[in-house]
Amino acid sequence: MTTTTAAGPARTRRATGKATGAILGRQPLGLVFVAPYVLYIVLVLAYPLGFAVYMSFHDYFFTAPGVEVPKPFVGMDNFVAILTDPAVARSFLNTLIFLVINVPLTVVLSLVLANALNRVTRLKAFFRVSYYIPYITASVATVAIWLFLFQGSGLINQLLGPLAPNPSWLINESLAMPVIAIYVTWKQLGFFILLYLAALQNIPNELYESASVDGANKRQQFMNITVPGVRSATLLVMVLSTITGANMFTEPYLLTGGGGPNGASASPVYLMYKKGIEQGHPGLAAALGVVLVIGVLAVSLIQRKLVGGEED
Amino acid sequence: MKRNSLKIAAISGALIFAASMAACSSNSPPAGGNAGTTGPIEIWYSNNKAEVTWGKAMVAEWNAAHADQQITAQEIPAGKSSEEVINAAITAGTTPCLIFNTAPVAVPQFQKAGGLVALDTFKDGAAYIQARTGALADQYKSSDGKFYQLPWKSNPVVLFYNKDIFKKAGVDPSQLATQADLLTAARKIKQSGAAQFAMWPSPGSEFYQSWFDFYPFYAAASNGTPLVKDGKSTFNSDAGKQTAEFWKTMYAEGLASKEVYQGDSFADGKAAIAVSGPWAIDYYGDKVNWGTVPVPGLTASDKSYTFSDAKNIGLFSACKNQQTAWDVLKFATSPDQDGKFLKTTGQMPMRSTAVTDYADFFTSKPAYKAFSDQATRTVEVPNVNNAVEVWQTFRDAYSKTVVSGQGTVADMLKTTADKIDQLVAAK
Amino acid sequence: MKAKNQSLQLILLFIGALVFLFPFYYMVMASLQTKPDTTVAGAFPNPANLTGQNYVDINKAINLFSGVLNSGVFTGGVLLGTLVFGVLAGYSLAVMRFRGRGFVFGMMLLVQMVPFQLLMIPLYVMIVRSYGLGDNYLGMILPFAINSTGVFVFRQYFLQLPASMFEAARIDGASEWQILWRIAVPLVRPALVTGALLTFIGPWNEFLWPFLVTKRASMQPLAVSLANYMSTVAASETNPYGAILAGACVLAAPALLLFVFFQKYFVQTDLGSAVKG
Repeated sequence: MTTTTAAGPARTRRATGKATGAILGRQPLGLVFVAPYVLYIVLVLAYPLGFAVYMSFHDYFFTAPGVEVPKPFVGMDNFVAILTDPAVARSFLNTLIFLVINVPLTVVLSLVLANALNRVTRLKAFFRVSYYIPYITASVATVAIWLFLFQGSGLINQLLGPLAPNPSWLINESLAMPVIAIYVTWKQLGFFILLYLAALQNIPNELYESASVDGANKRQQFMNITVPGVRSATLLVMVLSTITGANMFTEPYLLTGGGGPNGASASPVYLMYKKGIEQGHPGLAAALGVVLVIGVLAVSLIQRKLVGGEED
Repeated sequence: MKRNSLKIAAISGALIFAASMAACSSNSPPAGGNAGTTGPIEIWYSNNKAEVTWGKAMVAEWNAAHADQQITAQEIPAGKSSEEVINAAITAGTTPCLIFNTAPVAVPQFQKAGGLVALDTFKDGAAYIQARTGALADQYKSSDGKFYQLPWKSNPVVLFYNKDIFKKAGVDPSQLATQADLLTAARKIKQSGAAQFAMWPSPGSEFYQSWFDFYPFYAAASNGTPLVKDGKSTFNSDAGKQTAEFWKTMYAEGLASKEVYQGDSFADGKAAIAVSGPWAIDYYGDKVNWGTVPVPGLTASDKSYTFSDAKNIGLFSACKNQQTAWDVLKFATSPDQDGKFLKTTGQMPMRSTAVTDYADFFTSKPAYKAFSDQATRTVEVPNVNNAVEVWQTFRDAYSKTVVSGQGTVADMLKTTADKIDQLVAAK
Repeated sequence: MKAKNQSLQLILLFIGALVFLFPFYYMVMASLQTKPDTTVAGAFPNPANLTGQNYVDINKAINLFSGVLNSGVFTGGVLLGTLVFGVLAGYSLAVMRFRGRGFVFGMMLLVQMVPFQLLMIPLYVMIVRSYGLGDNYLGMILPFAINSTGVFVFRQYFLQLPASMFEAARIDGASEWQILWRIAVPLVRPALVTGALLTFIGPWNEFLWPFLVTKRASMQPLAVSLANYMSTVAASETNPYGAILAGACVLAAPALLLFVFFQKYFVQTDLGSAVKG
């Protein structure tokens, strides 16, 4: 049965290959496979996204159905207002501080831990579950723990005694964002460990075996086999943690009660929320969103250049 | 290279889509609702336990008497989420007829969006409100002189003090008559170590936090002046300066905490004084041995002003049976229902004659008497354009100068007043 | 030598695991306390201070069963959409060549980068007004139906399969459909399980969207009912902290159970043999 059905389509494909190949590509069935996803994006996400871009060029205001309020086209005004707002600039700086700490830490820690988890032979289930737990626990609980540790009278300061920073961690303009970065790294690590774990499965054991035979020690094997072997996963981890970090909203909000000391932990999305929903200026919020997306895009492209590792 | 052009293609695709969609979106159907029709309606109330109890009883009573105008009621959580929900609902035209617990600060925005119905459109609208609430009702008029909200209940804030901590520190509540006195008392409390902090209002940077530290004290100091009056900021004044300096000193000397406390610092005995309203009576209950004094002004007075922390009721334009909604509104704020509300929740209905009308309640629960008197002298959030942004601007500047101690109070007040004047004047 | 390395790694992992587990442990601890005890000593169980009252309170206040049911439908719908259509999309983006492939990839990246707050209100208006899906499971599921991160991850792992294997299969006459389901998918099973587990968490913990879209309490998923409960409770219970954490435990438990159950699927057959064979 397999032979007859297989011969049929194959023959047809090769026969029409030259004709359709030029127009639709070598496997036009790909269009069919990807169609539901594209339909989903178009029906569900394209409109709000396009609308958001539209709003960013207008002095927009959400009104009840049938109510007409002037929403004039204002060109680049919203963008200018956003880019010259010191609070916005500060929020982008905060994001940068966050990413600089979070992304490398995430990549290194998750790879090292995933590697260790992959090799360990005992208590596998216990370890995997424990690293995954912060990720599935709701923010409200993990924030409570973190505050218990880092508040002015918290555990960490009690242990540090006279070395405790003053003002304390989360109300300190220069320490607030780094503390949040470490918190988020810890919370999200489970996700990235999973990604690396899956990627590690694709490195054939033979490579390690032959390297051992050649006399390479564990560290050399790690640096020369494992790290290059998961390069595409590394790019994935970098890009995803960048996107998550740039779009962060709940964590700084919960940990520092809003935007933190002088906006030192305000995230761009928090500002979008304030301007768009609380203050009723969705045009400004949309402009900020567009700038944010462009920024993230740029950073992702740079990361791709640095890490590479994708065939096309 | 190829990637970049593809991304540009994706973005431009979205833009083209945007333009076409936006063109379509302008053909929206007209707002639902007819001021004269009656029929079933939907209402939302807050999810405060006591309010829900009262709400359910009120709805049951109405439904029993009006088979053809049934109310369906639902809770919404208060706070951040309710803004998002109400805004989204207005835009989609899916708001209920009445939302109990509409925040006065949100009313200008809802009104601008066309989401609220002016209660003046009902024949007895304005008259009813004035008769029930008296002179205080004027603070709730919008700039066009109409009422887009019905002033419902207030929680005038006062100072709750911990009697045990005071005793330990050797402080007497009569020593809290003026701001200066309060400062001295606070220092005494800190020195004695009776409490971690004298006061612990939330130092968070959300726009509404000023309503529980700066604003009540400013109301007392300025004899009942709202933040913005007749389109101009009022706080760049002596009263404003003194109040801001008072708080700046509190933070600078470690008498108030710069960190947000998870939970209630007063209930947990970490703060000696809390700024709260009558809803807290049930909450503090017997957790703390508490007493209350009015918020002190600059000079001793027994007729001081404070912040009202009022929540009102809005009638939304998506409502189909607006006459019923208005009738329910009158029912829910009738003398009978106001009394039941007071007894169930302890919050003050904004009825100008509440003190005498419910005299037996206040005799049986003397703790609330002080509040009923205070409720006649309250200041509300000013009903101006961009109200939320106004408060956010104020809070940002306050956080920087008063809480974190950077810059001078005089500069802060001047710059902020200018910014707020611009916001209020803008559309 | 090998044993020493093993035990060193084991110790490190163990310390790490403790660091990760401690907060969860503390959360369970605190949810069982009668009175909140924020000192260091409070981290250890104090028999005098233990009670299950917080959990009883939660069950009285919200209907746990319907909450879990709704969460299940919501999350299940998203998982179905992602595992079926997402895998198809990821596979085609990775392995098949067709016109517009780069364009779709670009859209996918773009969609992932956009924060939800930017889309929220127009999305709500569209789904409730234009599509008429308010108070409807489909309305809840739709914005999350095919998790773009999942598609990204699937594509990533399909990309790691050697092209030679596909060529060989095509020469043997297998159709694309067969290649996908008989050959490619079994080889990336860890990635699929990963994708599923990661896609699970989003809708399971999601509060705002289902809350916006459903107005009837009977349709609300567990995350929404718990969030409502947390905000009411914070104002009036003896141990608000404990009640909130009890709620968080209840929300985390099913996710944890699922993970414990499925984590053994991470180990997969050796890729090398597939290429040789």
